[in-house]
Amino acid sequence: MDRARRRTDERPALRPVEFHILLSLAAGERHGYGIIQDIEARGDTAVPDVGTMYRALARMLENGLIEAAARRPAPDAGDERRNYYRITDAGRRAAKTEARRLEMLMRAARIGGLLPKNTK
Amino acid sequence: MSHRHLMTVSERWFRLLLRFYPVDFRDDMGDAVVEAYRDRAREALSSGGLTRLVSVWLHALFDALRNGSGERARPAVSWRRSGNWGRDAELVTRRLLRAPAFAAATLGTLTLGLGMFAVVYTAVHKILIEPMPYRDSGDLYYVWRDYGQILDLKKGALAGTDIAALGEAGGVIEGAVGLQRYLGGVFSLREDTDPMEIAVTVTSPALFDLLGTAPTLGRGFARNEVGPGHPLVIVLTHELWNRLGADPAIVGKDVRLNGRPYTVLAVLPRGFPFVRNEPIGPAQRVDAYVTFEVNLAETNPKDAGYSGLIRARRGTAPEAVAAAVEAVGRAVDERDFSGRGLKLYPVGLKTDLVARARPALLVLAAAGLVLALMLTVNLASVLLARAAQRQHEFAVSRALGANDVAVMRATLLEGGLLGLLGGALGALAAVWGTRALVAVAPLDLPRREAIAIDWGIAGAVVLLGLLLGLLAASVPALWAARTSLSSLLASSAVRGGRGHGRMRREMIVAQVALSLVLLSSGGLVVRSFERLLRADPGFKAQGLFTVRVRTPPEFFPTPSDAIGFQDRIQATLGALPGVTGAGAAHTLPLTATFSAQTTITIPGAPGNTGDAERDALLVDVIAARAGYVEVMGMRLLAGRAFEESRPSGVFEAIVDSNMARRFFPGADPLGARIAYRKDWLTIVGVVEQARLYDVHQNGRPQLYVRAEDWGFRPLFYVVRTERQPHALLPEVQAAVRRIDPRVAVGDPRTMEQIVDDTLRQQKTSAALIVAFALGALLLAAMGLFGVVSGSVTRRRHELAVRLALGADHPRVLRLVLREGALLVGVGVLIAVPGIYAAGQLIRGVLVGVSPSDPVTLLAVTLGLALVTLLTCYVPARRVLTIEPAQLLRQE
Repeated sequence: MDRARRRTDERPALRPVEFHILLSLAAGERHGYGIIQDIEARGDTAVPDVGTMYRALARMLENGLIEAAARRPAPDAGDERRNYYRITDAGRRAAKTEARRLEMLMRAARIGGLLPKNTK
Repeated sequence: MSHRHLMTVSERWFRLLLRFYPVDFRDDMGDAVVEAYRDRAREALSSGGLTRLVSVWLHALFDALRNGSGERARPAVSWRRSGNWGRDAELVTRRLLRAPAFAAATLGTLTLGLGMFAVVYTAVHKILIEPMPYRDSGDLYYVWRDYGQILDLKKGALAGTDIAALGEAGGVIEGAVGLQRYLGGVFSLREDTDPMEIAVTVTSPALFDLLGTAPTLGRGFARNEVGPGHPLVIVLTHELWNRLGADPAIVGKDVRLNGRPYTVLAVLPRGFPFVRNEPIGPAQRVDAYVTFEVNLAETNPKDAGYSGLIRARRGTAPEAVAAAVEAVGRAVDERDFSGRGLKLYPVGLKTDLVARARPALLVLAAAGLVLALMLTVNLASVLLARAAQRQHEFAVSRALGANDVAVMRATLLEGGLLGLLGGALGALAAVWGTRALVAVAPLDLPRREAIAIDWGIAGAVVLLGLLLGLLAASVPALWAARTSLSSLLASSAVRGGRGHGRMRREMIVAQVALSLVLLSSGGLVVRSFERLLRADPGFKAQGLFTVRVRTPPEFFPTPSDAIGFQDRIQATLGALPGVTGAGAAHTLPLTATFSAQTTITIPGAPGNTGDAERDALLVDVIAARAGYVEVMGMRLLAGRAFEESRPSGVFEAIVDSNMARRFFPGADPLGARIAYRKDWLTIVGVVEQARLYDVHQNGRPQLYVRAEDWGFRPLFYVVRTERQPHALLPEVQAAVRRIDPRVAVGDPRTMEQIVDDTLRQQKTSAALIVAFALGALLLAAMGLFGVVSGSVTRRRHELAVRLALGADHPRVLRLVLREGALLVGVGVLIAVPGIYAAGQLIRGVLVGVSPSDPVTLLAVTLGLALVTLLTCYVPARRVLTIEPAQLLRQE
């Protein structure tokens, strides 16, 4: 267990799919397909495969970034029950750290002239 | 097709694709993955119809292929990336220390097994594989003659002229030397010192250059130190030099050989392993080398008495060497035998040397491999049982989030550590094991002196131990990692797991099968050895003592001097207290050498065919003195043996029953005349063979002639005594010294020792194979014990219920026994092809027993069944102590 926690602290960067998952869950509990729909809605060109996403979910569950929420029917799909996931405090922290890291990289890229200076 | 129907098909497809993922991922995430795909499929169907749906299906297939294999590879990846090896090793060590009995038993088994394996591996490596320590030893070949149609002799000696022809051949043959036994060999440092018997080889001067060996003291023979009238020079081995007192200034000094002065040229390096290969019998040890006193090119081409040794040009293919030697053979055949089809052929020096030991060693090597396999399976089942005991711990720690890689790593570390330690201890044990093997090995085993474990072999054994441990541990590791978490939890909640049970039973079946294969081979080898022990070699070995006394022409120039001396020796030995008779012959049974083979004809014998070549018979000539046949206890079938008085003008002969049958089918051979050495022998008696080669089968036909008639000088004297035979030696030595102080007594042996030496190889290999087989049986029995005992524990509840419902104890006992019997039965069935294959492999070392001998195989199988069922019965009896009422109340 302690090894798993240590790994999250030491982890240098989240993979894009993990960041997207955390982003979706930060807005509330989601089931798997819901997360994919969120990513699609955000207009990301590289929507992950179902398998890729669930493998990421499994790792993140193991590492304590997210946790399983109660199984319940989705509001739009009759009485089929879904597995819902919820972000943990550690997950929220990891997402924020990742966002800050990306921001710092963006700033560095602008100072370095790799990107235009004042793009919103 | 309705939407609902299509959705059902989709869901099935997605569930099928889940198979690409490993079981634990499927347990955890499988349903959710299918849900997500179902949502996607539904959306695709409503927005784009069937085409979009099919595209989702295909997409899902690629997704599952990619991510499924990725997920399966993950343990290996995280094994590399993650982990705390030090802590795992510490945990494993602590766990082993906490179970000292388990650790000791496992290590003991591994040490013993790997030790035995190491001993056999050392012998095989040193004898069969390691090249001889000569320069480019792969390019050295012995050359022999195949007499083709003329004579039933496939491996004959060469004539001196053949060796000269090989030496002049050029091409790929760089050089050729001849080798020959030196008759006599009574050696002394000075004329007045005690004589000793040594083994001397006569050779061409180029021998040491050909082998690529330089003496440590002095120089090798010069090119011109050969031929008639050359100064007599001798080269000593390091071992002989040591026996003589290791005088560093020995080079240049004169020593005596058969009374003639020889100048010491050189001392060879320590452990110089050269032995002289002979066409018949084991290679001969050499103490000293002298050169030919004849010019090989001028010898009689029909007088074949040399071993030929050639060196091929470096790296020449054996086929090219064979072609070159055969070309020389054809030329010689044309020149000396008017093209009657005699052939010369080369055999690699090493191959020729080890040819006799090879079949038995290969059998031992195979048995060693089976034993190693058996050890692996046994260790795997022991580790699996141990892992199964901890399955609750696995289940809980995995439920708490420990990753399964850690579990695998711990198991593998445990197996690897045990294997490594077992290998190291086994290599250590083999240091003594190889010494013990050398002590019991046949004296004429080639490379016997080289059999000792070295760092390379020790390293290989340790590595084998490690591999074996890891391989064994991968079984429980795979089990632990593959068993899904939920089933692990479920089965450990219900007492005792199931998953490992099948694997363990499979391994028991494998062990029973392997041990039966070894046991059947062991049984056959033992039966064959027993046949050898009971074989009648044609003489009575008990109470016979033999020594060799030479009669060199240098001391006894005329034949009558020599015969007078031999008469005195025989008479004196026969008169020693406790001796009932003495005889002598120039060669003893079971110690055949090729020196006395010759072809004879019996003109006018009824068995002749009329074809001159087919009527000439190659026979073993044994030159014997009066009394030999009686003292040896040979069986006289007709006529009489040689008598004290020698008739003048008649050369007497005794033939064996083979020869009598061949030439005189249904007729009386007595009085017939044999053409021998341009003279005539008269048959006076017929005997049963005193076998020259093997105890169990007749060799070539035998012809006994009187030693006195033909000037045979070195003789083996045989005395029959009622005393301890070996105790005669001091008296024999004293008697010979009294008669003539210049000669020495050599080769003191009892006839029983000679028989024992002949059987030593079979005895050693039989003992080793039986040890392997019994070890394997023990391992199988231990495994079976564990399984049955575990099964009784696991099924206690079920058995109690059966008892409570009215089954009686014997019935329940039978139920448990049946489980063990089934495993044994399946093992026996699986072993059948193995037994057949092993039988084919050992066919060559079996004597008088067929590899599929039904009695032996049945007995061995029954024995195995009995032992294994007994081992089942002991733990199974515990069911008798089950008190259903009490047990069920506790539950």
